[in-house]
Amino acid sequence: MQLFLEQTINGVALGSLYALFGIGFGLVFATLGILNAAHGTYASWAAIVAYYALDWYGAPFPVAAAAGVIAGGTIAVVVDQIAFQPLRNRGTGLLGALITSIAFWIILDSLAGQATEHQALAFPATSYPTRMLELGAMRVPIMQVIVITSLVVCATGIYLLIQKTLVGAAMRAVGWNSVAAALGGVNSRIVILLTAFLAGATSGLAGVLAGVTTSNVSFTLGEGLMLKGFAAVVVGGFEDVRGTAVAGIMLGVIEVSAAQYLSTSFRDGITYTLLLLFLMLRPRGLFGSTNFLRA
Amino acid sequence: MQTLLDLWAAHSSTVAFAMVNALMALSTYAVLSTGVLSFTTVVFAAVGGFLSAQLVAKLGMPLAIAFPLAAVGGGLAAAMVAGAFLKLETHWMALASLALVLITRVVALNAPVLTGGVNGLVIPRRVSLGELTVVLVLVALVFYRLSRSWYGLAARAVREDPAVASTMGISPYRVQFIAFLISGVVGGLAGAALAFTLQFISPETYFIGIAFTMIASTVLGGSFHWFGSIIGAAIFTALPVAMQAVVPAFEDVAKGIALLVIMIFLPRGLIDPRAAGLRRAARARIAAESNNA
Amino acid sequence: MTNIMAKLAIAAFGAALLGVTGAIAGPAGGEYSIGFVTENTGPLAAAGLSYYRGANVALTEINDKGLAGPGVRLKLSEKESGSDAARAVQAVTQLAADRAVVAVTCCILSPVAGAVKPVVVNEKLPLVIYGATLPGLPSPPWVYSVVGLPGPQEVKMTKKLIEVLKPKTVTYFVNADNEGFQNRFKAAQKVMEDAGVKTAGVISILASDTDFTAPATQAMAQNPDLIMVWTTQGPAGGIIASLRQRGYKGEISASDVISPAPMFRRIGEPLAGIPFPINFAAELAKTSEAKAFVAAYQAKHKDFPDTYASQGYTAMYLLAQAIRGIDGPVTREAIANALSKIDLINPNVFGGLPLVNGQAEVANSLIANWTKDGQIAVWERR
Repeated sequence: MQLFLEQTINGVALGSLYALFGIGFGLVFATLGILNAAHGTYASWAAIVAYYALDWYGAPFPVAAAAGVIAGGTIAVVVDQIAFQPLRNRGTGLLGALITSIAFWIILDSLAGQATEHQALAFPATSYPTRMLELGAMRVPIMQVIVITSLVVCATGIYLLIQKTLVGAAMRAVGWNSVAAALGGVNSRIVILLTAFLAGATSGLAGVLAGVTTSNVSFTLGEGLMLKGFAAVVVGGFEDVRGTAVAGIMLGVIEVSAAQYLSTSFRDGITYTLLLLFLMLRPRGLFGSTNFLRA
Repeated sequence: MQTLLDLWAAHSSTVAFAMVNALMALSTYAVLSTGVLSFTTVVFAAVGGFLSAQLVAKLGMPLAIAFPLAAVGGGLAAAMVAGAFLKLETHWMALASLALVLITRVVALNAPVLTGGVNGLVIPRRVSLGELTVVLVLVALVFYRLSRSWYGLAARAVREDPAVASTMGISPYRVQFIAFLISGVVGGLAGAALAFTLQFISPETYFIGIAFTMIASTVLGGSFHWFGSIIGAAIFTALPVAMQAVVPAFEDVAKGIALLVIMIFLPRGLIDPRAAGLRRAARARIAAESNNA
Repeated sequence: MTNIMAKLAIAAFGAALLGVTGAIAGPAGGEYSIGFVTENTGPLAAAGLSYYRGANVALTEINDKGLAGPGVRLKLSEKESGSDAARAVQAVTQLAADRAVVAVTCCILSPVAGAVKPVVVNEKLPLVIYGATLPGLPSPPWVYSVVGLPGPQEVKMTKKLIEVLKPKTVTYFVNADNEGFQNRFKAAQKVMEDAGVKTAGVISILASDTDFTAPATQAMAQNPDLIMVWTTQGPAGGIIASLRQRGYKGEISASDVISPAPMFRRIGEPLAGIPFPINFAAELAKTSEAKAFVAAYQAKHKDFPDTYASQGYTAMYLLAQAIRGIDGPVTREAIANALSKIDLINPNVFGGLPLVNGQAEVANSLIANWTKDGQIAVWERR
């Protein structure tokens, strides 16, 4: 029983990382209509910036993490302005943006490799909280609690932002039809920048936390998160933040349980088969809306 | 003369890879020309590649039989994929195809009997440059004929506006299904070509790297004309080699920047029939005006 | 008179003979290119850089001391492959087309080496493998490997662990996607089970995995006396870190992937005390050649050379040894021939390195561990 609970918590913590990353990725997809291949690099870079903030300036952990998050958001804005903005007026749609995002993926990944001198770095053990919480007979690392809390806070915050505030309404309007939104008085430019920053920052947070919990800060960090976060978005329904959060946690728990109780070699297979089933049987995901079929 | 031969020997493998990438890009173009963005070419290539590799390695079949069988395998896979996913809307289709690529890799990793599992398959034969050229020319010929046929017209109509096309009596579903079949056949060939050029395939071969390469080639060259895919593949394959010669330390970054610059300034790609048509019309208009003046 | 004439004639004939044989003895002088497929970018860049640096240190020594033959200089012709099989094949094809390249050396990953092998055999270009550990790759006259295969040293360590730790149950961590490590794990498991040590569990991970809290929890729940980690470098570090972070106080053993200094810089104290078998460790260098290598590497790179650097170093020395043994023009066939005749790589930093059927065999392996302050020392049970 204790093992089951411990593994469940492991799964929830792991899934929270996927969910956090997926929220950022889904935000770009839903609001800006862009399949951003470079999104994983935001997470890698956020972790790298946080690492160097710690290493060069000896900043305390929350400050370094904040630096990483802001870096993630800034890089997202820069990529958006250089790669996607010039194409917005030309109507190339999904395709053009995808190619430029691939270009940036290549560039940012390569630069990340050079920034870490092609090594995998890790946050020194003294820089982040490593205690274990005792809950009865179980021991839960404090970092896992931090990760899960971050997900809950971010998911709730972004959900409320999008559903309940004017800014959120503006974001939804731009995602639906940016011309009509502009006619309605929304400054699409600002909304797009804000969305990009938010998406980059959320994924950046996922990157920093992943870098801490897996002792691995390198360009491979983003790629791992990207594939699983993408699965969380598809299963959860990309338009709803709650869906991504729930789906991400579900995926984490399923992954850990599959490895524990079934077979470790089929672990990824089960995740992706689930993905496939959802795509075929319920493409809008758990919580998505209904405009998923063609006219 | 010797330097020419040396140059050829040094770069013959690049030319071979460029041709393989051209086949992949053409397979992607087949569905893109009807308005569907899909990464499933990788899946069809995996089917074709592993099938032809096993046929030649285990059953000793000659290439002339293995390649067509790979094409058939790819076509069958395409029929299944199209049947399952064609009802999805554009964005979803893209995501679903990406998910399929991920699933293919997991399947390939866990089926060592079929695919050699983690270690991959070593392939004893190599396809010659001449044989590759023959395949590429044949496929290009097919695309040329298609683009000038009823099917080409229908595909353009469906891409422009599926709703209008269906009011004109063209079924977008049928046209796109046919496009998927073509994509599957060409993809299977491309996968076999890659297998016999690399002489070694593994689950990593048919994965995200190649997916992005072929999309980039297609769009770079021009996603509105089949010839663009071939040109795009040639450029995208030559790019790393050129960059390595020029800026070896930053070759990856340089490749990305080159891609970015081309896409921003030529978003419709290098071979753009509309731009060519506009240029021709402008010239005709200027000629007419100077005649009248 | 005729006697003197005869003697002079004989002397002249003798001198001429000496002159002629003097002229064809030894390799033809000049500068020759050795193709080097680097892996300085990509997922294995850290290791790739080590191999590359070791090779360069060797090359400087070889050229300075004329160890490839009088008047012979060697230089590297590099092509980057990023640990990707397709790029490696392209790189080797380009190197083969360059007629100044007389030999080529490559490959950390066994699948990549496997892909390159048919190319070099086809192009008749001698290949020295510096990193891949799959047995059966070498095939004289064209393919050789200086990599001491893991098998025997790991069996030795497993036996020692049984003897000293006397475990009753063992849990194994292994890569599902790496045949080399699957073989190592199976060899270790056989030794354990033959000695009556039960397998508490086998946990598979993938080389690209990054999160190990769940596998670590799984392993700890099986309550083994010993956890053996037979995985690639990234996961090995992650697993050991996770185990210690979750409070596992039991015994762990690993493989030589945790030996490079960057691993200790990254993971730190959790690695201390964990035994691993190793062919070459800078701090434990005993022979004069080994010490000289360590000193030369430190002078240039301010870091101890790791086991990968020693292999890059050895690859170059093997080629120099082959070239030195050639009589006449230094061509690819001549090198291949010379390589096939070598059965002992000399000099070497391993205290003896026979070359059997193209495969190097390391006889002296040690069982070492990291100490808390980041030094490698011989493993002793606390």
